[in-house]
Amino acid sequence: MIQLLNTILIGVTSGAIYALMAMAIVLVWRSTRVINFAQAGLALASTYIGYEALQIVDNYWIALICAMFAGAAISAFIEITFMRILLKHTSSGPIASVAPIIATLGLLGIIKALITMIWGGQDAVIKPPLTNTGFSIGTHTLVFSPMKLAIIVSVALLVFVFSLIFQKTNIGLALRASAYAPEIARLAGVKVDLVRTLGWALSGASGAAAGLLLTSNGNGAFSPESAEFSLLFISGFIAAVVGGLDSLVGAVIGGIFLGLITAFVLMYISGSLFFIAPFVVLLLVLFIRPQGIIGVKAGRRA
Amino acid sequence: MTRMNRRALITASAVLAVAALTATTIPAQASEVGVSNSEIKLGMTLPMTGTASPGYNKIPGAMKAYFDYVNANGGVNGRKITIKVEDDRYVPTEAVAKTNKLILQDKVMALISPLGTANNKAVAASVNPARRGVPVLFVNTGFSGFADTKKYPTTYPILPSYVMEAKIMAEYIKDNFAGKTLGLVYQDDDFGTDALKGFTQAGVTFAAKVAYASGSQSAATAAGWVTKLSTAKCDVVVLFGVSSATAAGLGTAAALKYAPQWILGSVGGDATTIKASGVPAGVLYNAVGASFAPATTDAEDEYVKLFSDIYAKAVPGSAFDSYVLGAMNSAFVAAQALKAAGPDLTRKSLMAAIESKGASFASAALLPLNYSKTSHVGYSGYWFGKYSPTGDLKPVDGKYVLYTTDSGSGAVVKSTWKRPAMPAKGLPN
Amino acid sequence: MHKPSNKKRIAIFLLLGVAIYFLSGAVDELRVYQGASVAVFVVGIASIILLTGYSGQVSLGQGALLGVGGYAAALMRIHFNTPIWICFAVAILAAAVAGALLGLAAARLSGPYLAGTTLAFAVGLPSVANQFQLLGGEQGLLFDVGFPPLSFGEDFTQYKWFFWIASLATLIAIFWLQNVMRSRYGRSWKAVRGNDVAAELAGINLTRNKTLAFTLSAGLAGLSGALLAMTIGTVSPSAFPLALSFSLLTGAVLAGVTTLGGVMIGAVTLVAIPDIAGAVASRFGSSEAVTNNLPGLLVSALLILTVLFVPNGPVEQFRARREHRVNK
Repeated sequence: MIQLLNTILIGVTSGAIYALMAMAIVLVWRSTRVINFAQAGLALASTYIGYEALQIVDNYWIALICAMFAGAAISAFIEITFMRILLKHTSSGPIASVAPIIATLGLLGIIKALITMIWGGQDAVIKPPLTNTGFSIGTHTLVFSPMKLAIIVSVALLVFVFSLIFQKTNIGLALRASAYAPEIARLAGVKVDLVRTLGWALSGASGAAAGLLLTSNGNGAFSPESAEFSLLFISGFIAAVVGGLDSLVGAVIGGIFLGLITAFVLMYISGSLFFIAPFVVLLLVLFIRPQGIIGVKAGRRA
Repeated sequence: MTRMNRRALITASAVLAVAALTATTIPAQASEVGVSNSEIKLGMTLPMTGTASPGYNKIPGAMKAYFDYVNANGGVNGRKITIKVEDDRYVPTEAVAKTNKLILQDKVMALISPLGTANNKAVAASVNPARRGVPVLFVNTGFSGFADTKKYPTTYPILPSYVMEAKIMAEYIKDNFAGKTLGLVYQDDDFGTDALKGFTQAGVTFAAKVAYASGSQSAATAAGWVTKLSTAKCDVVVLFGVSSATAAGLGTAAALKYAPQWILGSVGGDATTIKASGVPAGVLYNAVGASFAPATTDAEDEYVKLFSDIYAKAVPGSAFDSYVLGAMNSAFVAAQALKAAGPDLTRKSLMAAIESKGASFASAALLPLNYSKTSHVGYSGYWFGKYSPTGDLKPVDGKYVLYTTDSGSGAVVKSTWKRPAMPAKGLPN
Repeated sequence: MHKPSNKKRIAIFLLLGVAIYFLSGAVDELRVYQGASVAVFVVGIASIILLTGYSGQVSLGQGALLGVGGYAAALMRIHFNTPIWICFAVAILAAAVAGALLGLAAARLSGPYLAGTTLAFAVGLPSVANQFQLLGGEQGLLFDVGFPPLSFGEDFTQYKWFFWIASLATLIAIFWLQNVMRSRYGRSWKAVRGNDVAAELAGINLTRNKTLAFTLSAGLAGLSGALLAMTIGTVSPSAFPLALSFSLLTGAVLAGVTTLGGVMIGAVTLVAIPDIAGAVASRFGSSEAVTNNLPGLLVSALLILTVLFVPNGPVEQFRARREHRVNK
């Protein structure tokens, strides 16, 4: 019974973090129809900036907000300078569909190399603001601690803020319009370029939060080579696909779903299958319901 | 231009490119590879970055500190010792690539303290230093197989083997924790199975055994280990992994309030590294650990005093821990070997010097070296201690009691060897 | 377009073979070893050119297919001690089967879904090795091709032997690939890549066409993997990381993903960049962190610049410019 409870708690906590990363991926996809592989590196870079902020301000939550701002800024910068040129140059030709993927991969490589050059390859440690010792129920200790509770609350808060933004403003619709039919959107008065950049900025912020909270889900140590960060992006991507790639709600659901499944595999089946489980989930989803849990089946676009 | 001509053009440019690369080749050496009138070049591969690197990445700095000390005092037979360090991130295939670079491109005279069981095995199989006559000095691994002089004729281990360590641990367990339920966490490769061999040899049975794949250790996966161990109700748990795995295990267990009697293997048992990974000192308190060198907090020991002094001057602000002490000790032994090989320094004369005079080399360890013409075994034993409230390893009751054994079926016996005084200024004489 | 006859092509390849023979005698062991690595990349990049450039399908998982080939070769050697060429043949077959399966799955997907699936393959497949004791776990298995024949003399080093084997395999593979690309299969791939709706209307079975491309591409990847295993001497999950898939993709883009002509450029660049970057970094006496990461930085920057400004690769650009000049 305790084992089951522990598993669910582990799953929901890591799932919440995946959800943030999935939201980041969905935001970029919605605004530019590109999967931004560099998001993995951006999350890492934002986490390092959060680390530096923590040294100066000594308050974890302020550092988190700084990291999110930094993530938003860098992301927007990349969209304005890099992606616009890329999409202009490669909108046709044999390499058209592959070009954004390859280019963002290249960007990922540059970001990672720069990070390692600046901060070195060693572990940096962001001390979690709350303790990681589990709550006790009688004689048993749960894998749930004040810090993990804080993570879930933070994610819930961020999702709430994001959904407010999407409901109170027209930005959700504007994003979709800008991606599908930019000319028509412009004619309808949508500031397409601004909206796209905004989409990327929100994505950067979400990814930054995912990165920082990820370190606090463990012992606070991270480095450019951390297995957890590589897993974060891949899990976020898989969660986004599972959720339908097009909706933020789907991203959150996909994230929690993936988190729960990997937790069950870890605790009940075998620790070493922990890394394969997300991929099996992806393959199953792609075969059984490729449009994801929320998604709508796309018609054939000639 | 026809397609055929274009292909010819491409072929020609490819050949030109390779020729250009050829032109940048270093000219051939006159005497021994890696040895000049003024310099001896050694090469090292180890994880400087990556999951396995915590703690071990201080080793190059420590070795360089000692070698610079020797160089400042006249060097070895008039030559300065330098090391070229390459990061292999604890990945065997990268170790192969980097070792290739050290031997073929940097043309080092010998390899020193390459780290990792799987890494050294891959290098031996692929780069084959034995066939090239390249000495592999004082490998930073306790894999018992490396002492096989037929398979690895140019390899000289220095650490006691994992089989020895496991047998001695088993003896300690029998003396102190008889009848308790035992658990084990080990790495899922030759490093771990070597230890298993020793425990099986000594007749120890574990109620729960957890094997982790190298590189998979993290707070998340450690939760799985702890669950398995606590479900099996283990009172005593041996953590025989690298330092990051040990830290993950200890940290996660503390968060889950699981507190068995911990026994830490020497590979991952460095207190400073564990504490730096976020594990509170209180978790280490009363855990059992092992070492063959004096405790790093032993202010009375002349080697500890000298080495920590040298290190503090060379790398200010960096803590003097057991990896630093081990590295400087290996450097000290290497310097003696280089000196004993004489002014006519060749790879062969170096190896001959270790085999004929190695057993009498001075070292910081509380056990003798066992080098001879037929044995490449270095140290062969450990003392046990407990971690203090501040998380420092200290010998039980303040007295070093050393046990020694072999990698085979030999018994575990107490050692009565007394370490001779340090040579003047800690320099090779 | 003027196509040289088969006889002329065979002559060219024989000439290349002779050139390689003399080259291997003239350079030192390090270069010979790098030459073997170049051969590995040539075959690997060629497999991507076939898949992405000709058939228009993106795969982020080529590294995993190299892994299948490498493991197959190693297992044959360990358990059956078969001669090298049989090991390579089995590697090609095993990878081709894996590719066929992946291709069947991929034929229904496109864009990010295809990328995601192949990514999943790339990261997940190597971890499978940890599940089965037979596959040697994280530490891997040894792949020993044996020493060069004694008749070659004492001085004939192991690495030179690797270079010879790899070069021969590469020459044969590229020659075969060229044949395939000029055949009706090559034309049908190009048709599908250009406009799959039109191609289907013209009678091409999309699924079979795409799966065939995946299968053949995978076979090549398997050969590349077996050669890689030979040069490192081991197969392990860490020998076929995600970074390998990315490197191959990079090399293909640098080479010009739509034609085979630039494949040497791509391969040599991949091997030469770490070398040059290391030399540059140490000349300026920079820190460890810079030295270790400069190659990655340069390759990534080169990749981005290529995609932005020379998306079809330098060879194609060169030809287009010339044709433009001719047409004027």
